[in-house]
Amino acid sequence: MESGYNAWRFTSLSPWPHWALALLVVAAAGAVLLAWRGLRSEPRLGRRVALLALRTASAILAIFLLAEPALRLLQTARVKNRLAVLVDSSRSMNFPVEPGGPPRIETAATFLRRHRGELEALGDRVSLEWHTFERDLSPADPSALARGVPARGGRTDLLGALKAAAAGGGSGRKLAGAVVISDGADNAALAEGLTPSARADLRALGVPVTAIAVGAGAPKDLAIDRVAVDDFAFVRNTVTVEVGLAARGFGREEVPIVLRREGAVVARATVKLEPGKERYTVPLSFAPDTTGTFVFTVAAPVYPGEAVAENNARSFVLRVIRDRVRVLLVAGRPSWDERFLRALLKQDPNVDLISFFILRTSTDLAGPQEELSLIPFPVSEIFGEQLRTFDAVIFVNFAYQPYRSLDIERYLPALRDYVKNGGAFAMVGGEQSFGEARYGQTALAEILPVDAVDGLGIASESFRPRLTGEGRRHPVTSLAPGEAANESAWGALPPLPDVNRTRVLTAGTGARVLLESPTVMVEGRPAPVVAVREVGSGRSLAVTTDSSWFWGFMAAEEGGSNRAYQRFWNNALRWLVRDPALTPVQVEPDRPAVEPGEPVGLSVSVRAPDYGPGAGAPVRGELVSEDGRVVAHADAVAGPDGVAHLELATPGPGAFKVVASAKPRCSGGAPCPPDAPVERATGAVAARASGPEDADAAPRPELLRAIAEASGGTFSTVDRGLPEVRLTDPEIVEVGRRKDVPIWDRAWFLAGLVLSLAGEWILRRRWGYW
Amino acid sequence: MRRRDFLEIVTFAAGALALPRIARALPETSKLAIGHVQHGGRWNPRPSALRRLQWELAQRTSIETEADAVPVRLGQPGLHRFPMLYLAGDGALPPFSEVELAALRRHLQYGGFLLVDAADGSDGNGFDASVRRELARLLPSSPLLRVAREHVLYKSFYLLEHQGGRLAVKPWLEAQVLDRRLAVLYSQNDLGGAWARGQLGDWEYACTPGGEAQRETAFRLGVNIAMYALCTDYKDDAVHLPFILRRRS
Repeated sequence: MESGYNAWRFTSLSPWPHWALALLVVAAAGAVLLAWRGLRSEPRLGRRVALLALRTASAILAIFLLAEPALRLLQTARVKNRLAVLVDSSRSMNFPVEPGGPPRIETAATFLRRHRGELEALGDRVSLEWHTFERDLSPADPSALARGVPARGGRTDLLGALKAAAAGGGSGRKLAGAVVISDGADNAALAEGLTPSARADLRALGVPVTAIAVGAGAPKDLAIDRVAVDDFAFVRNTVTVEVGLAARGFGREEVPIVLRREGAVVARATVKLEPGKERYTVPLSFAPDTTGTFVFTVAAPVYPGEAVAENNARSFVLRVIRDRVRVLLVAGRPSWDERFLRALLKQDPNVDLISFFILRTSTDLAGPQEELSLIPFPVSEIFGEQLRTFDAVIFVNFAYQPYRSLDIERYLPALRDYVKNGGAFAMVGGEQSFGEARYGQTALAEILPVDAVDGLGIASESFRPRLTGEGRRHPVTSLAPGEAANESAWGALPPLPDVNRTRVLTAGTGARVLLESPTVMVEGRPAPVVAVREVGSGRSLAVTTDSSWFWGFMAAEEGGSNRAYQRFWNNALRWLVRDPALTPVQVEPDRPAVEPGEPVGLSVSVRAPDYGPGAGAPVRGELVSEDGRVVAHADAVAGPDGVAHLELATPGPGAFKVVASAKPRCSGGAPCPPDAPVERATGAVAARASGPEDADAAPRPELLRAIAEASGGTFSTVDRGLPEVRLTDPEIVEVGRRKDVPIWDRAWFLAGLVLSLAGEWILRRRWGYW
Repeated sequence: MRRRDFLEIVTFAAGALALPRIARALPETSKLAIGHVQHGGRWNPRPSALRRLQWELAQRTSIETEADAVPVRLGQPGLHRFPMLYLAGDGALPPFSEVELAALRRHLQYGGFLLVDAADGSDGNGFDASVRRELARLLPSSPLLRVAREHVLYKSFYLLEHQGGRLAVKPWLEAQVLDRRLAVLYSQNDLGGAWARGQLGDWEYACTPGGEAQRETAFRLGVNIAMYALCTDYKDDAVHLPFILRRRS
């Protein structure tokens, strides 16, 4: 062989494509076959053989010359493949090998000290690589591994580690094998075992795995290892939280499980443990009574001798929303105001409307009761047990007094308490509203946004209401984006014909007048037309006219649209029931729960008073513990999109309220006075006491055995020592140089072809075939 | 409280109840005033009819009414001040102008209600023929259809089984529907003729063939129509159904 080359192989230099060469081979075979058929009648064997031999020789020589064979000389070299030794450094390796035994990581180090020599002896066939692995793969020093490395990883990903090792190195050298020393407590792709797809992935790697199991017996431990619940639930609808409980090393104990919402127990159950059974599923059901985002915690008691105490509780965040806004509409008599408001609410698919109208008073002479479709007013039902089921209660020109037999006044304190405890109430004007119905002397006076003094009467004069300073910014009176457009929209509406005269409440009551009459004065101040109030946890609204339908039906005649009416009442209802979309500040944690030690990421969205992005607004985010202490805070400035991102370090595990505050009026580069109003939004986040590594302390040698078998490797335990380490054959790698030496271009090949063809031709002539 | 207790209290304890609404000053705009449509034909054949209906509404129900209806012209501003309109006629109705039709269409599309009453007892001729032509022009995609016996209109206040009116030309009402509500209601039985009452307290027209019972039904139908205009399908709400079914059984 020519110097510099150490391998060769045949190749074809023919420019013809493969299919053309194949056709030629077929044609050559056909030529030989035809010759054989034509010679079947030849009685002399010698002639038959001679002619057939000459045809065959011609066919072979023709194919040889057309295929242009050559020798390819190669310069190749053998290289060593890799053997990766992977040592599990996840936190579960801190658990004891067996109850009362040394930590698994320590046992793994002992194993390495004992067998390091055997592994290094494989170095003449493969090059050794040493790694620790948990979520990712990290190179490690073998001496350090033998001494013992800290096990701090928050996740165990066996398949990921093998894939990373197979792909790693960057040298292009193949991984010939892997030695995995682990407890097998995978909580990533193999958490559910070696699934068919995981098995296929493993086989595709083509790496025989020598698996060494660390740990055999599970320590005594009780763990809430799984909480299955939807991301959101509907208020007042039962939601079931499915809790997975793992118990090892217990007898026939009864374990109480509680579900707490920010400290208060909302559901509880008891699980009877049975020897030999490790996993239990516990359903916990409850009906959330208020909307919002809350942290819930499922907890079991910590028993003496447990391996991990932190995994006995698990927190999660649940967003409680309403399915539909349930509105109670009570009207004192049929009127156009009631008619158009009912139609608006009825056509809204998000509103579940319950209406009660007084169609007949005691003085009306309608005829026999059985000929009427009227029903008794179910006062005790709607103002008693059903009241809390409503998101908002609206009184349209409804007086409590005329129906003394029904004793509605008795229920007004309950209505007041309903609002203070988070409900919503609106009173709409008319001759049976506000002071005209003496509501100023009832419990409702404590929640109404105006002072409904008796005897002020109704002003029957046409006026066009105007926005107050508060009304220019408030979402209830926002008919169009931007202050100028909004004022213009209000100015374009038809004038109102009347207004209930009420007094403005004093400062400090939480009441705000949004719309007022510039001409109707009450004690020297403009009469409120629309006013709102935050009282306790609830909200109230006053519309002191029975002609708000003028903004719809009447406006449609003049301006061709009733959108202002729809917008006003939609705004009002959404504000009353605290629609999150109306708040100028909103906060959303990046994730509802974080692993131990992870920071909490927050996105705080700020909207300017004109509902545009609150760019440049100063933002603060706080984590508040269950006892009300601010445990972490951070400040930022909203970006051009009105969103600020914050990261808060958690002080430890637990459930935290997230409070974001911002000054939306300080956005857009506007000067920020110190007394600019601060808007707030709240959310919730859970910092887990235990991550997946701590949730289940049991080793999984069966998973390691399955990995070894599926990959064509071997399995052992640290006690039994190092088994045979299987490796794939070393690969021959072409280093670079090659050279093609033609072998077809010799003259005698052509001469041979000519001679064989000529010979056959001559013999056929002589023997009389032509 | 049991239903019977409630009824007794409501029926017999009237004297013990205060009547604050009567004593209160009620703005005119807060009361129901029916807009009486003026047109080129005989638009007011029963001048006292709506006054009497509004009086009966005030007497029988909690609806507060104006003393009389208010004449309105379709093409003129102020039509929307009256969400409930009344269109009557005796004899052929001249075609409405496009402006008038557009104004009435807009009124109905934004929630208005129109009661059409044929005073001449016509069927296929006279007022009936011309008003059908105009209603087809008004809402071409909403043809006049019979109102089903089960419709909420027949239980919006009174539980009704029959039609009322001065005549009994048709034992049904017809309607044009917009957004699943009756926007136009048409009676051929001269409701106004049954409602009309003279200054001296006598009924202006006899009701045939049913006499005074037919007149009472006409008033009850008028009450139900006004109640429907003001409350739409309130009596279809689930909370009413058990009571209504019990009384109808």
